Amino acid sequence: MHIEIDEISKAFGSTAALQPVSLAIPSGALVALLGPSGSGKTTLLRILGGLEFPTSGRVLFDGQDATGLTVQERRAGFVFQSYALFRHMTVFDNIAYGLNARPRASRPTRAEIARRVTKLLELIQLPDIGARYPSQLSGGQRQRVALARALAIEPRMLLLDEPFGALDAKVRKELRQGLRDIHDTTGLTTVFVTHDQEEAMELADLVVVMSMGKIEQIGKPQDIRARPASPFVREFISA
Amino acid sequence: MGRPLIHRSPMPGLGLSMGITLTMLSLVVLLPIGALLLKGANYGLAGIWDTVNRERVWAALELSFRLSLFAALFNLVFGVLLAWVLVRYRFPGRRLLDAAVDLPFALPTAVAGISLTALYAPNGAFGALAAEIGWKIAYTQWGIFIALVFVGLPFVTRTVQPVIEEIEREVEEASATLGASRLYTLRHVILPMLTPAALTGFALALARAVGEYGSVIFIAGNIPLVTEIAPLLIIIQLEEFDYDAAAAIGIAMLLISFAMLLVINLIQVWSRRRIGYV
Amino acid sequence: MSDATRTEARPRFRPATQESPAARLTLIAVACVGLTILVFAPLVAVFIEALADGVGASLQSLASPDARDAIRLTLTIAAISVPLNAIFGVAAAWFITKFDFRGKAFLITLIDLPFSVSPVVAGLCIVLMFGTNSLIGGWLVANGFPVVFALPGIILATMFVTFPFVARELIPVMIEQGRAEEEVALTLGASGWRVFWTVTLPNIRWALLYGVLLCNARAMGEFGAVAVVSGKIRGETATIPTTIEMLYQEYLAVAAFSLAAVLTLLALVTLLLKTLLELRHADQLAATHRH
Repeated sequence: MHIEIDEISKAFGSTAALQPVSLAIPSGALVALLGPSGSGKTTLLRILGGLEFPTSGRVLFDGQDATGLTVQERRAGFVFQSYALFRHMTVFDNIAYGLNARPRASRPTRAEIARRVTKLLELIQLPDIGARYPSQLSGGQRQRVALARALAIEPRMLLLDEPFGALDAKVRKELRQGLRDIHDTTGLTTVFVTHDQEEAMELADLVVVMSMGKIEQIGKPQDIRARPASPFVREFISA
Repeated sequence: MGRPLIHRSPMPGLGLSMGITLTMLSLVVLLPIGALLLKGANYGLAGIWDTVNRERVWAALELSFRLSLFAALFNLVFGVLLAWVLVRYRFPGRRLLDAAVDLPFALPTAVAGISLTALYAPNGAFGALAAEIGWKIAYTQWGIFIALVFVGLPFVTRTVQPVIEEIEREVEEASATLGASRLYTLRHVILPMLTPAALTGFALALARAVGEYGSVIFIAGNIPLVTEIAPLLIIIQLEEFDYDAAAAIGIAMLLISFAMLLVINLIQVWSRRRIGYV
Repeated sequence: MSDATRTEARPRFRPATQESPAARLTLIAVACVGLTILVFAPLVAVFIEALADGVGASLQSLASPDARDAIRLTLTIAAISVPLNAIFGVAAAWFITKFDFRGKAFLITLIDLPFSVSPVVAGLCIVLMFGTNSLIGGWLVANGFPVVFALPGIILATMFVTFPFVARELIPVMIEQGRAEEEVALTLGASGWRVFWTVTLPNIRWALLYGVLLCNARAMGEFGAVAVVSGKIRGETATIPTTIEMLYQEYLAVAAFSLAAVLTLLALVTLLLKTLLELRHADQLAATHRH
């Protein structure tokens, strides 16, 4: 799905988290929102997901104004930094959650839900953990379960907030490739937030560098590296 | 031998603090309870059974337990609702409501007893209203129910409040992004998280209600077989100097409280093992 | 898409973690109405009934010998049992948090036991142990020291029902604070008592005050256990709560409710101080409060 951000701004009280920013994300792209903390990247992601409402501006999905759509209506697969898994549910029930929450008319049958969960567990390469509870998983496994849970609702896009933030360096490298593979198989427009320039450069098709609520530069990784648009970008990507 | 009974420690005051603790614990709590159990042992299981197995005693125990259960169930629902409102919503007077939840802990039971009776007696403010539709509250089981609701009110709210405070916002947001309505989120994500604490509060309220005396006897009417609670029966036996009978009923009640204490602990073990927190 | 959409009134956005305004309002209303009926109404009723014949009649009933004796006795009981329980609470918390020993969890369960025993059963236990026809009680009475139907029994009963208050407030606080500060003081050459007075006590003073406050409120208001052991002898062993019962059963409503109002004021002051402590010193009190 093609996403267009049109002059979006966001203020919390009197502090501006986002200056008016505009950005077009082509269908099927893997985009990184890169910046230090307080740059507004998470706010922008949450606006896309419908978790925050912009102070001004519009969000368009495939050309349709989606600004007023509720979280539930957006069908954005959202992966939280803390993963936010439901601790009282098994991995299976976590992944099936979005399907079970549908109104009866559009809810798949139990067998169909089971089939899809099994397929997703295979996709994240953890076929045998359905019966476990989140507290019995490693950090990397939790992240992949959160991803599978987001994918289960057949989302129109995938939004990830610091998906590798809570992991150690080795696991982080492995999972980066995992995300790339999942993106390539599903073909979903994917936006992820990170403060790690190496991660953004290595993984994304398109990198959006942000600072203090503004977009500093939008470009392919190699272009940003070759021609940083501002001293901030040069400084930040060489760190 | 494995672990020593007491590890050596550079901290001073071992003898003194242990001495005070064990002496006072024994004198004030353990020896008196021991005296009751000893009385029971002398009296014998058969003796206890003969005493308890009378219509009037069964009626009192059944009444105490049944109404305590209803009151605790009411408090379970209302207490969770109250905890949610107090933690999640900001409105004028919230602090006052929050402080008011503790009043049943602070107000002496005898005061609560006569005050509730004054309110719900046929000529009282609420009692008169109820009488208009032919509903008698004071001096019936309804009166006992209301008194037990009053004394058990704070337990569920106070155990659930800290759990609500600790729910991460992201978990609720995750549920919404997965398409769940707010009601679905409350029912399938939040309520299960509150269940262990709510059950603990429920069991505490139940235990308190079963043993409650002061706030109940004024409003109960105390008619044998109908509105006579078990603790009152103990006092009646004592006033008739029938110590054996009093002890028998006392032991029955003590066993009920121990059983509930056990249940509370099992709930906590279960929840810790299953979800990793209480 | 026309430019008009930009200036259109936006629908009110509701965060994903909130209920609809209507649902919120309903829940708040239920909470307010519920607490008004269940808690505020009985509270107000005490004062209305106490002042039914005017302030003069109410004050006069408080000046009667019965009321004065009851107030004096209740103050005496609290003055003895609360400090004793405070000493126990501090000693038990010190023993439990500063040393490692087997059976600690069991000891804590035993200390908590009185909360799960009916006050009437507590009174019964004391009567069975110290009553005239028990071994110890008989001997004590023969030597001129009656416990049951006398002050010592009432104090024991009061201590039984309030036993865990101070200890269970202090234990979590002292666990959280650890032993490091005391250990440092010891290495600097301070004596044990000096460590306690200058290091430990300042750290736990608000929690101690909190526990004492709740302990005192319960001690002055205890009814069931005291009713069993005191014999309710007018002018001798009748406390405020048992006097309230006697006056009420003699249909002296104003007198009964006037004494009740005194205890209610005590409860309100206790709650006020407790709330103040929670606001000012939340960090130095036990994280969660279960009673």
